[in-house]
Amino acid sequence: MRFTITREKLQEGLSAVTASIPAKTTLPVLANLLVETTERGIRLSGTDLDIAVSTEVIADVDSQGAITIPAKKLAEIARELPSAPVRVSATGEQRVTLECGKTRFRLLGLPKDEFPSFPSVRFSESWRVRSGDLQKLISHTAFAASTEESRPILNGVLWEMRPGHMRMVATNGHRLAKIELPLESVGAPSADLIVPPKALEQIRRLFAAEEDLEIARGDNHLGFRSPFTAVFTRLIEGPYPNYEQVIPRDNERVAVADRNALFQALKRMSIIASDQTHRIRLAFNAGMVKFSVQTPDLGEAQDELSVSYEGDPLEIGFNASYLLEILRYMPTDEVRMTFKAPERAATVEPMGWSDPAKYLCLVMPLRLVD
Amino acid sequence: MPRIAVLPNTVVDQIAAGEVIERPASIVKELLENALDAGARSVEIDVTDGGRSRIRVADDGTGMPRDDAILALARHATSKIRRTDDLVGVGTFGFRGEALAAIASISAIEIETAAQDGAGTLLRAENGEVRDVGECSRRRGTTVTVTRVFSNTPSRLTFLRSPRSEWRATADALTSIALARRDVRLTATHDGRQTFALAPVSSLRGRVAALWGGAYADGLVAVDDVTGSIHVSGLVERPGDAGTAARRIFLSVNGRTVRDHGIVRAAEAAYRSTLPAGVRPSLLLELTVPGDLVDVNVHPMKAEVRFRDRWMLERAVEAAIRRALGTHESAPALGSRAWSFGGTQNGGVGTVVDTEVLRRADGGFGPLLDTPPGSAAPDSARLPDDAPIPPLVQLRDTYLMFERDDGIVLIDQHSAHERVLFERFLGTLERGEAPSQRLLFPLTLHLGPAEADAFEEHQDLFTALGFEVEGFGGHTLIIRAVPMPHPRFDAERCIRETLDALAGSRFASAAPRHERLAATVACKAAIKAGDALSAAEMRALFSALGATALPAHDVHGRATIVHVPWDEVDRRFGRR
Ligand SMILES: Nc1ncnc2c1ncn2[C@@H]1O[C@H](COP(=O)(O)OP(=O)(O)O)[C@@H](O)[C@H]1O
Ligand SMILES: [Mg+2]
Repeated sequence: MRFTITREKLQEGLSAVTASIPAKTTLPVLANLLVETTERGIRLSGTDLDIAVSTEVIADVDSQGAITIPAKKLAEIARELPSAPVRVSATGEQRVTLECGKTRFRLLGLPKDEFPSFPSVRFSESWRVRSGDLQKLISHTAFAASTEESRPILNGVLWEMRPGHMRMVATNGHRLAKIELPLESVGAPSADLIVPPKALEQIRRLFAAEEDLEIARGDNHLGFRSPFTAVFTRLIEGPYPNYEQVIPRDNERVAVADRNALFQALKRMSIIASDQTHRIRLAFNAGMVKFSVQTPDLGEAQDELSVSYEGDPLEIGFNASYLLEILRYMPTDEVRMTFKAPERAATVEPMGWSDPAKYLCLVMPLRLVD
Repeated sequence: MPRIAVLPNTVVDQIAAGEVIERPASIVKELLENALDAGARSVEIDVTDGGRSRIRVADDGTGMPRDDAILALARHATSKIRRTDDLVGVGTFGFRGEALAAIASISAIEIETAAQDGAGTLLRAENGEVRDVGECSRRRGTTVTVTRVFSNTPSRLTFLRSPRSEWRATADALTSIALARRDVRLTATHDGRQTFALAPVSSLRGRVAALWGGAYADGLVAVDDVTGSIHVSGLVERPGDAGTAARRIFLSVNGRTVRDHGIVRAAEAAYRSTLPAGVRPSLLLELTVPGDLVDVNVHPMKAEVRFRDRWMLERAVEAAIRRALGTHESAPALGSRAWSFGGTQNGGVGTVVDTEVLRRADGGFGPLLDTPPGSAAPDSARLPDDAPIPPLVQLRDTYLMFERDDGIVLIDQHSAHERVLFERFLGTLERGEAPSQRLLFPLTLHLGPAEADAFEEHQDLFTALGFEVEGFGGHTLIIRAVPMPHPRFDAERCIRETLDALAGSRFASAAPRHERLAATVACKAAIKAGDALSAAEMRALFSALGATALPAHDVHGRATIVHVPWDEVDRRFGRR
């Protein structure tokens, strides 16, 4: 194997794949990148066995071949090389030489056979989605997925593909985020996919917004690809809990508030909120919400904010950090909140979002004691 | 010493009277107490045949002038009190003037005594009657020799046990007094063999070492605490050691050895939740209280006292021990201890490591695992925590380790977290304040009959802890809301395992129901060995543990903290 590549192209390829290399691994080959020659240049691939990323960059190939190279060292070398063509050649299964000007490195790789093969995904039957749409869905929901191991299903983001729309939902069982986007057509049949947020994060990062992505599934994997880059991820086995059922339809108490003012008030209150529960109390009255927090052994705080509020007065407790987080992802200056009762789910939505997407967050209250 | 006088009847009537001589051990005790009351610095005791044949107690105390020596044998003759008022706060062991009379009445007694070096008095009496008064030459002090014990009361003789068990009772009596009066040299022989040879020492620990060995003494935790006018000091067993050796109880009040169940119970309460059921610790406790708070005149053998404010006293004892157990010292150490006995007159200052080291500078309760799932830390609006927490290392995903001036400290992460949660849950149950997160998707639990019973039995407590549970007929539970003790908390698993444990424990523990539940839930809710912790989580656990009342022990009495002194490390490397 022998090829010549510009330092910039090499770095471009490396920056796409190195994030998929596990920091710690018991399988030595996973610390390496797979480098293969293609018709257009070379393909760099890395994986932690859950997610695999592979990208192709232009290079002049003299002779074909493949080898694995320690990823961290290769990235460090690429960073320090002068801006000049890099000649890479492999002799045998394990020795790699990099030359750039007068600089010369020899690295010990591992045979390419040791590198895990990528999951087989049938791109012949694929959905087509614009990367920017996908980014919007991911960035408004992935934060809400659970990070705890107790219910693995909630560690994933539900991605529903339907004839007229697609939707993402994530929850940790205490709060939930849901976003839906109308679509002309996505190509392939309806599907419910439960995707690890880590993979979605890679996808959001790797593909430019205007790129069209092909998405296809294998047995329990999902593949995303653009002309140069592909991402494969393990899917989480369903079924996802029936979230439709918990979305309240009859919350007749409605408050509309300035997102930023609400955010600031909540932040102030959470200074005094308990470290374990972050519990604060909200009391809604005509035209007004009063905040209060009392934490034994610490102290108390109050604040108020004018809001437009319809419905009977209501006192309700929340984990302030959940509300803050939801508000951070609300795309508009005003938010609409609805409530039913102190023990029922509340909703938070953007007000006047000039976007075809529909966004809704749910948060379950904390029990108040008085 | 004041002269001896016979107490007037009005005073005698006030005295809790009684037969004090039951067996040879009582004779030895009374004679030894008299010697100590006479200011002896050194007492020699020789006992033959379990005390049946001969008891001799020789002291270097004040001695008695001849008239006093004769009078001493009369009933109610004492130099120690004159009036009823003197009983208040009496500081001597004796005060009734009965012992010598009682001893003399059942034996042959010989008293050699001299108030100054040189000319003394030799006095012989038999069955209570003075037979002979003469002169002798001796150093200042008194020697009392008692023979033919109970010879004139055959019924008493038949109640005596074997010489060995009579000697054992005597040795127990000597031990109690030896612990209380460690400033005095005590030697004792039985049938010519030396069994006690106790040099004066300055600390209780020193006496304990001389009695039961240095290793045993080193294993005890020092108690030293003042509440109001009550000073509680002494040595108690580490929870981890309790039950491994014979249980030893010693209690003295103002230097007087007494029995008191209430105080022992209060002391045991301090171990609450650190000991398995049925295991009881050794306790060597000394109480110093203002004289007017105790009445010593309630028990014929002066073995019990009455307290004016028992509740206050018991609370002081419990608090003192709790504080002592909260120190690192009560965690099992590896290798030799940093101090050596005898050198710790001041209660071991400088080596008794207070858990203040673990406490955050601001004294705040560090939350464990503070960041809720999925929430971004920067927005939690916390001030940066710049309290002095030492760098922590996690070992085997099981222990946290840090370095201190005097060695390495290891913390068991599960035990530590369990302790943190236990105290928090207990607080929740006692204050009735239970934050509870409602769930979007209620959890459904199917239980076996035993678990369902366990749930029913504890439903009120689960609710108080923040679980909102509905029975759904049969053995199905629906959980609608759960507490959030820490972000990794797995409510379903916790409640399932707690019910499992409750259903499986066949013996009812002595601990109150709510404590038992808090302990069980804490155990099940805590992070486990094998959970990798982030640096922030380690720090949070560290400060939360430091803020607990008993950081050194988990709810099962196991150590949460192990201290490896540098001495030990150095020794292993051959540097010492
Ligand atoms: N070893 C001794 N040295 C000096 N005085 C003694 C000694 N033993 C007894 N006495 C004197 O004899 C008195 C009577 O002793 P005892 O019958 O034991 O009564 P109590 O100790 O209650 O006063 C004591 O008060 C004390 O003055
Ligand atoms: Mg006496």
